[in-house]
Amino acid sequence: MTNSPLILLTGPPNSGKTTLFNLLCGKNYKTVNYPGSTVEYLTSSILEKYDIQADLLDSPGIISLNPESPDEKVSVDSLLNPPGDKQTKLVIVTIDSTQLTRHLLLAKQLKLSGFRIIIVLTMVDLLKKRGYDINADLLSEKCACPVIKIDGRTGNGIENLLIEIRHSLNDSILTPIEKVRSSLKEFSKDELLEIYSENEKIEKDCIHEINSPVNKDQLNKANAEINIIQDRNVKASLKIDETTRKIDSILLHKSYGILIFILIMTLIFSSIFWLANPLMQLVDEFFGDLASKANTLFGQNLLGDLISNGIISGTGSVLVFVPQIIILFLILGLLEDTGYLARGAMLIDKPLSKIGLNGRSFVPMLTGFACAIPAMLATRTIPNRRERLLTIFIIPLMSCSARLPVYALLIAYLTPPDKPWLGGVILTSIYILSILSSAIISAIINKTKNKLVNVSDNSSFILELPTYRFPKFRNILYNTIDRTFSYIKRAGPVIILFSLSLWFLTYFPDNNPKVDTAGLSENEIIELQNAERLSNSYAAGLGKLIQPIMTPLGMDWRVGVSLISAFAAREVFVSSLALIFKVTGEDETLQASMLDAMKKAEIEGTGKKLFTKSTIIGLIVFFVFAMQCLSTAAVARKETGSWRIPILQIIIFSTFAYVFTFITVNVLQAIGIS
Amino acid sequence: MKKASQLNFGEKVVINDIDVLSPHCNRLLEVGFTPGQQIELVHKSFFDDPLAFALRGTIIAIRKHEADSITVI
Repeated sequence: MTNSPLILLTGPPNSGKTTLFNLLCGKNYKTVNYPGSTVEYLTSSILEKYDIQADLLDSPGIISLNPESPDEKVSVDSLLNPPGDKQTKLVIVTIDSTQLTRHLLLAKQLKLSGFRIIIVLTMVDLLKKRGYDINADLLSEKCACPVIKIDGRTGNGIENLLIEIRHSLNDSILTPIEKVRSSLKEFSKDELLEIYSENEKIEKDCIHEINSPVNKDQLNKANAEINIIQDRNVKASLKIDETTRKIDSILLHKSYGILIFILIMTLIFSSIFWLANPLMQLVDEFFGDLASKANTLFGQNLLGDLISNGIISGTGSVLVFVPQIIILFLILGLLEDTGYLARGAMLIDKPLSKIGLNGRSFVPMLTGFACAIPAMLATRTIPNRRERLLTIFIIPLMSCSARLPVYALLIAYLTPPDKPWLGGVILTSIYILSILSSAIISAIINKTKNKLVNVSDNSSFILELPTYRFPKFRNILYNTIDRTFSYIKRAGPVIILFSLSLWFLTYFPDNNPKVDTAGLSENEIIELQNAERLSNSYAAGLGKLIQPIMTPLGMDWRVGVSLISAFAAREVFVSSLALIFKVTGEDETLQASMLDAMKKAEIEGTGKKLFTKSTIIGLIVFFVFAMQCLSTAAVARKETGSWRIPILQIIIFSTFAYVFTFITVNVLQAIGIS
Repeated sequence: MKKASQLNFGEKVVINDIDVLSPHCNRLLEVGFTPGQQIELVHKSFFDDPLAFALRGTIIAIRKHEADSITVI
C-alpha cells in the first residue's frame, strides 16, 4: 500500500459494490490480510487515468454496523481500524436504488457514526424498467451527503463520482476517528425502527413514477397498487421483480425445486469431470514431455534428474489441477452472480441443519470440491460459531481437485479399455461416498454436542434471495483468476518443496550406484542403476520402517512413501509413485507408462502383485477420508484460532482412512476379488 | 395473534411486531421486517422450512423458527 489517502468502499450484499470497485480500480487489485487473521480485503489504487491519488479498500458486504458473522465483523473493523495504520478519509456506500429504504440503513448508521460518506446509487436501470426514477439531488439534500448515480454496465456517472471524491479528499477535515469509535454502538430496536421510518419517508419523496406515456393497463395496475396500499394503510414499497418471481416459481417450487437443485449440482460435478479431466491430462502430458526433454538435454546425471524429476515434475503437480479449480470457480461465480447460490442455500438449509450445519455451509462445501483452503475462508459468512467450526471440520472430506489426478490414475487402472463408461460411474460413486461420509460424520459430531465444538447455540438463517440478473462475466473472470493465483501462491511453494525433498530422499545417498554392466544395453543399465539407487535410498530406509503398517493393507513401503509424500498435497501421490517406479514419459503418456509399471509391480520378496483390484479400491477409500493436506491444516488453525480442530481432523480422518482401507482391502480379498 | 410462520402460500399480511426477546430481532429489523410493513409468503422449501417472504421489493429467506417471532395482522 502507498501513502495515498484511504477510501473505504462498503455496501449491503448485492448492492453492486464489486462492480464499482472494478470500475474505479480495474483488475490491478491485490488481496491483503487483515492483521491477526486470514481475512482478505481487496485493495488497489484508483486507476491512473482518473488522476486521483488514493487507495480503495473493498471488504465483504454488510447490512448494518451490527456484525453477526466473522466476515461482517471484519468489514466493520476495517472501517474503524483500516490496515496499514491509516485513517479512513472517506467512505463510499453503494445502494441498490430498488432497495432504497433497506440499503439506506447502513449509510445512515455510517453518517450517524461520524464518517464522511458518498452514496453511490446503482441499478437505476432496473428501477426505470419497473417504471420509477430516483431524484439524486433530493436524496443528497435529505441525507446531507453527495449522491451519485452510476450505471454499472456502461460506467456512466463515474466522472461525477470522481469530482465528488476529489472534492472530499481536498477538504482538510478528516473523519474524527476517535469520535467514531466512541459513538459506534449497537443500534436498539427503537433506533432501528426510527431510521427505517425516516428511510421510508425519503424513499417516498425521492422515488417517483416516470411520467412517460404509460399504457392503460400499467396505469390501472399502478392505481390498483396504490389503492391496496391506501386501503390497508401499508407503507409504500416496490413490488418484487416479475421475472424473478416467475423463475423462482420453478426453481423454488415446493416439490420439484429440490429436484432441480440436485440436477444442477449433478451437472456441475459431471462438467468438472468432462471438462477438466481432458485439460488436466493436457497439463500432465505437457510436463511429462518437458521432463523427458530436460532429461535428454541434461543427460542421465544428477543435474538432469534434479531438473526433470525434481523441479519440472514438482511444478507439474502444482499446475495439473489448475483447470479444475478454474472451471469450478467459474461455475460458482456464474451461479452466485445470477443469484442461484442463495437459493441453493435456502433449499438445503433444512437437511443441513439436521446434521448441525447451516444453509450457509452450502457454498463453502461446494467450494471444497475445488480446494479446501478457499472453502474454509468462505465459512466466514456463517454467523453461528458452532456451525462454522463444524463446517470447517468436514470440509476436508469434500473431494477436492487435488484428489482428481489420484482418482484418475486409480480409476484408469480399474477400467478395462472396452468399458470406458465405468470410469464415470466409479468417480460418481466416489463423490457420493465423500458427501455421504461427511454428512454422517457431521451428524455424529453434532450428536456429541459441545464436546468437539463448545459454543452456545443460536443458529439462524436469514438470507436475501437477490433478483435474478444476467451474470457479469468480467467480474467472474477477474475473480476466478484472482482466486486461482492466490491458490497457486499459497499451495505451490509447499508442494514444490515436498517434491524436491522427495526427489532428494529417493536419489541419495547412493546417487551413483555401481552395477554390473556386462552385456547390457544403455537403457537397461540406466534402469538397473535407478532400481539400485532407489533400494538404497533414504526413502527406502524410511519406507521400510513403515512396512509393518502397510502390510495389513496388502501394500508395501513404496506405496507408503507415496502416501506420506501426499501430505504435501494429495496429487503428489501420483508424481511420487512415478518417481519411485522410475517412470519416464517417453514415447507414450505418463499415465500409460505408469499403468504399465504398476501392472508389473510386485510386493518385494513375495512375488505377489502389488496393485490389484482390492488394493486399488482400498487406496481410493484411503484418499476419500485421509486429511492429507498440510496447507489445509494450517488454514484450519488460522480460521478456528487454535490447533484443536486441525489436530483432531488429522487424527480422526487419518484413522478413518486407515481403518476403512484395511476393511475394504481385506473384505474384498475375502470375497475373492483380489 | 397469527405468526408469519403460519401463513399460507401467497398470503399477504402486515407485520404487527417482532418479538424483542428473539436473538434475531435486530437482524430481522435490519433486513426490513419492520412493524407496518406488508409481507407476502412467496416460497416454501421442500421441508416447509425455510420460508421466503417478499417485502420492500426483494425476497428474504428466513427459518420457520425466526418467522415464529414475527406476529402479523
